[in-house]
Amino acid sequence: MLVPISWLREFVAVPNDAQAVADRLAMLGFPVAAIERRPRIAGVVVGRIATVERHPNADRLLVARVDVARPQAQTIATAATNVAAGQTIAVATIGATLPELTIRARTMRGVASEGMMISAGELALPAPWFEDGIMQLDGSLTPGTDVVEAFGLDGDVLDVEVTPNRPDAMAILGLARELAASYDLPLRVPSFVNPGRREEPPGARPAVSVESPDCERFVAQRFDGLRVGPAPAWMRIRLALAGQRPINNLVDVSNYVMLETGQPLHFYDAGEIAGGRLIVRDAHDGERLITLDGVERALSPRALVIADEARALGLAGLMGGASSEVTPATTAIVLEAANFNGPRIRRMSAALGLRTEASARHEKSLAPALTDAGAARASQLLTDFGATAYRPHAFGAPAAAAPPIALHVAEVERLLGLALPAERIVRHLRALGCEAVVTQNGTALSVTPPPWRRDLAIAADLVEEVARIEGYDRIPEALPSVPAHAISSAAFQLENAIALALAGLGYHEVVTHSLRRSGGPAAVEVRNPLSEEHRVLRESLAPGLIEYFAGAGEPIRVFEIGRVFARDGDRLVERTGAAFGFSVDGPGEPSWRDSAFLRLKGDCEALLRRVTGARAAVTPGSVPGFHPGKTGSVTLGDRRVGVIGAVDPRRAKACDLPGNAYLCLIDVDALPPHRTPHYRVRSKFPSTYRDLALTVDTAVAAAEIEEAIAQVLGSLCTEVRAFDEYRGPQVGEGRKSLAVRVTLQRSETTITDEEADDAVTRVLDALGERFGATIRT
Amino acid sequence: MTNLAENLRDLQQRFTVAAEAATDERALESLRVAYLGRNGEVTKLRRAIGELPAHERPQAGKAVNDVVAVMEERLRRRLENFDSRKVASELAASIDVTFPAIPAALGSLHPVRRIIDESCAYFRRHGFAVVVGAEAESDYYNFDALNIPSDHPSRESFDSFRLSDGMLLRPHTSAMQIRTMQRHRPPVAIVAPGKCYRRDAVDARHLFQFHQVEGLLVAEGIHFGHLKGMLTRLCRQLFGPDQNVRFRPSYFPFTEPSAEVDTTCPKCRGARGPCSMCGGSGWIELGGAGMVHPCVLREVGYEPDRYSGWAFGFGVERLGLARYEVDDIRRFVASDRDFLTQLA
Repeated sequence: MLVPISWLREFVAVPNDAQAVADRLAMLGFPVAAIERRPRIAGVVVGRIATVERHPNADRLLVARVDVARPQAQTIATAATNVAAGQTIAVATIGATLPELTIRARTMRGVASEGMMISAGELALPAPWFEDGIMQLDGSLTPGTDVVEAFGLDGDVLDVEVTPNRPDAMAILGLARELAASYDLPLRVPSFVNPGRREEPPGARPAVSVESPDCERFVAQRFDGLRVGPAPAWMRIRLALAGQRPINNLVDVSNYVMLETGQPLHFYDAGEIAGGRLIVRDAHDGERLITLDGVERALSPRALVIADEARALGLAGLMGGASSEVTPATTAIVLEAANFNGPRIRRMSAALGLRTEASARHEKSLAPALTDAGAARASQLLTDFGATAYRPHAFGAPAAAAPPIALHVAEVERLLGLALPAERIVRHLRALGCEAVVTQNGTALSVTPPPWRRDLAIAADLVEEVARIEGYDRIPEALPSVPAHAISSAAFQLENAIALALAGLGYHEVVTHSLRRSGGPAAVEVRNPLSEEHRVLRESLAPGLIEYFAGAGEPIRVFEIGRVFARDGDRLVERTGAAFGFSVDGPGEPSWRDSAFLRLKGDCEALLRRVTGARAAVTPGSVPGFHPGKTGSVTLGDRRVGVIGAVDPRRAKACDLPGNAYLCLIDVDALPPHRTPHYRVRSKFPSTYRDLALTVDTAVAAAEIEEAIAQVLGSLCTEVRAFDEYRGPQVGEGRKSLAVRVTLQRSETTITDEEADDAVTRVLDALGERFGATIRT
Repeated sequence: MTNLAENLRDLQQRFTVAAEAATDERALESLRVAYLGRNGEVTKLRRAIGELPAHERPQAGKAVNDVVAVMEERLRRRLENFDSRKVASELAASIDVTFPAIPAALGSLHPVRRIIDESCAYFRRHGFAVVVGAEAESDYYNFDALNIPSDHPSRESFDSFRLSDGMLLRPHTSAMQIRTMQRHRPPVAIVAPGKCYRRDAVDARHLFQFHQVEGLLVAEGIHFGHLKGMLTRLCRQLFGPDQNVRFRPSYFPFTEPSAEVDTTCPKCRGARGPCSMCGGSGWIELGGAGMVHPCVLREVGYEPDRYSGWAFGFGVERLGLARYEVDDIRRFVASDRDFLTQLA
């Protein structure tokens, strides 16, 4: 909301310092998004044109004699055509400073011109919003009056943000009240006494039927004797400074009152209300209405309309209709100052895709009491413009007074940690318009919120009001002593341990999009996606990382920890995943060996060892999207906790990966809790080892051989580890050579060479029998 | 006996010549083996002592031992000599220490995680637990239980991605407040970091997926001053000891009183001149906070007259923009190598 400081200063004597006022408003809960600085203008005064004559030497110029309250009238030449004797205008005198020029005495085609008559644009007002040529001021102004001062043109304009609980503050007066309370200054409240006293002539009394519970109050008032024309300059300038385009005196009054009081108004041409009755009702299905913006709208019963006996005249709280619009010929109007149900207006506004200054206020549930104030202010202004105001008629429920709220003085300290005496609390609340009475020997207050505030209902609301006016910065900082509780941080710690381990293993953490273009049959779709690129929730972290590898351009090691989603029947299943891996330039090894896979496997084992304390195993398996021959399941005991492998080369190619990528996906939610490792005393007798060069079928897994050896030897062997593999002509088709180191040790004595050799014999016998293994010579 | 003495003298002479001629440790070692080893010349002589008459044996033994001692001493001295020469040549080496390092293979944590970790670590030191929860949440936990009924105007500021009936991607981490309070009686002291989603058009300041850190403390005697104290110290933790924090009144349906929390712009240090980070205000927005609304406490069965508490939530990427002076918030999701390396 655009708030000219000069308008605020009509109600409260805040400093004419935009930054200071902006800071104060921010600390009251109304942040200022921007300050529109007004240019410095000086030396512009009110002038009254005495005579206008043709320029003796130029057809296109006029020469005026203008009274600016100096001993002699100024002679001013102008190219403007809208000047005439008797007009009151703005004159930039010699030496005046305008945004783009400084006025000097000059001679125009032989006539000495002592200043310049100026247009709205030259006063840094939006030129298209005002008359072409010289700006016309109000005849009531005294010549010589400083124009900048008279119209507040030097006051900067604040763009104030108002939270949705405070529609009462979407008004100059509302913000002025806040500032008055905060600065502890008096608030000059305009009179809200409606000057309309007279009874209407027969048949002219406006009738209203409120047929919807969504209209809480409707004030209707008739005005006669209107002449539609431009509003006075002061009103047009204020509206323009506040960002409202002046239209004519009637439209301007309704906008002016809305900006000042917060109550939106609507004027109907009294002659266009069929049957003289306004009806607040749901729209008929398919009912059509042309709104003031010229759009013809088809309505549904969800729309609330103001209608006459024949048809809908306007959309309640949103916009009037073209049929009853005020025209230059209008002489009698009916004013509407109504209160509508906020949610209803918001739904209508959303459904129709139409948002207006009026709906922005109504949708936040204005207080019904504002209707009377709005009608009264409009009535005063229209009367000033020469209209005859008749008696206002209020329909709907009378504005109910809010029940008083009990506020214990101690509650302020309990919630804020700042003790305030009862008198100070009372003073703050009264400054905001509350009635506050001290009760219970000064330990409690009975507080009645002002009729324009709907957001004050409980003691905590009042504590906030007290804190705002006292100033949040006055609340002293303190450190709480947090009592013991039993809430666990385990899930967070696990994620963090994984992240730290992977970073230590050389992986860089990335964050990719959870929302993706497409997914599998179990993917969870977003009903209202922002774009096709982000329609479904990711089922796996893999696609994001593969895209990342493709985008990186060069090999990189990365990881991500995040949520993955799937639909299981009606159920949405969400799990935490951790994925890590790297991209490589391309294969450089025989088809049966892949050291990149083994490096990833080493990292996987290290990671799981660190976070679970257990040893992971990889068992062969295939997973869609992964290479069919280079993929396995990661298991801890008999628990499957993840997948490890090379990305399916077809998928890698489809994703424009220059080489390939290797990924390990861990289901974090499936990981067992960390098991604390226990120290085991090693045998103090020396160990020995034997390296076996075995030949087996290629289908025999290294892990099977290792397991078989360990089983045969039992406690005699402390470690079995395959350390080399070879395939090729020397070992023959379908066979592979496997080198295995067996470490042997006894706990009570030194192992002898004979024992070791015997162990090897037993192993070879068993392996020969079970796997057809032969010793390679 | 004379024979033995002569042999010893001869051996010693030959040994001395050879030892002085030896040029490296290996030569000295083979010399040691040849003379003093298991089958060495001196060892052979020692074995011969057994064949001497008994009365000559002690003297012969002593003579051999003396020669062995002399030989060993010479070996030791020669070795020492080699060592010191080796050390000297080692010392003579010199490299260009300004030559670029071989890069370390250390990975890195995403800047978002680092801010979350540091924040959570701070709260854990003060007795808070860290909880994490689902990103797909129900309307009840995201809105209704937080005193935001469906007609509430502030639902607009939480423009959310909707899933199936009644479920949505959480627009804030506040659902964790309700879930935790439903599970535990007071006192409750938690921080809840996590990813959130809002249907915001993406630009240099907005993402549709971002992270928040939520905090909640409910117990007897907890007040707004505690909120100020904790968040001020958090900011000093993250930005340095001169950091200031400002609490401005605001509005959230789930807190009363409510506040917006700002902290000194780390780039211009609050100079209020032109600043690309804070736009000249001197402050950057940290997030929202306030005293938990009595309706929210009642919703989870807490007695608002007995317990009070506060909650806060702040955007992690926004903080990251300020902390790492990042020009565009989208870099946090793009996570390109250069971005990660620079901030690692």
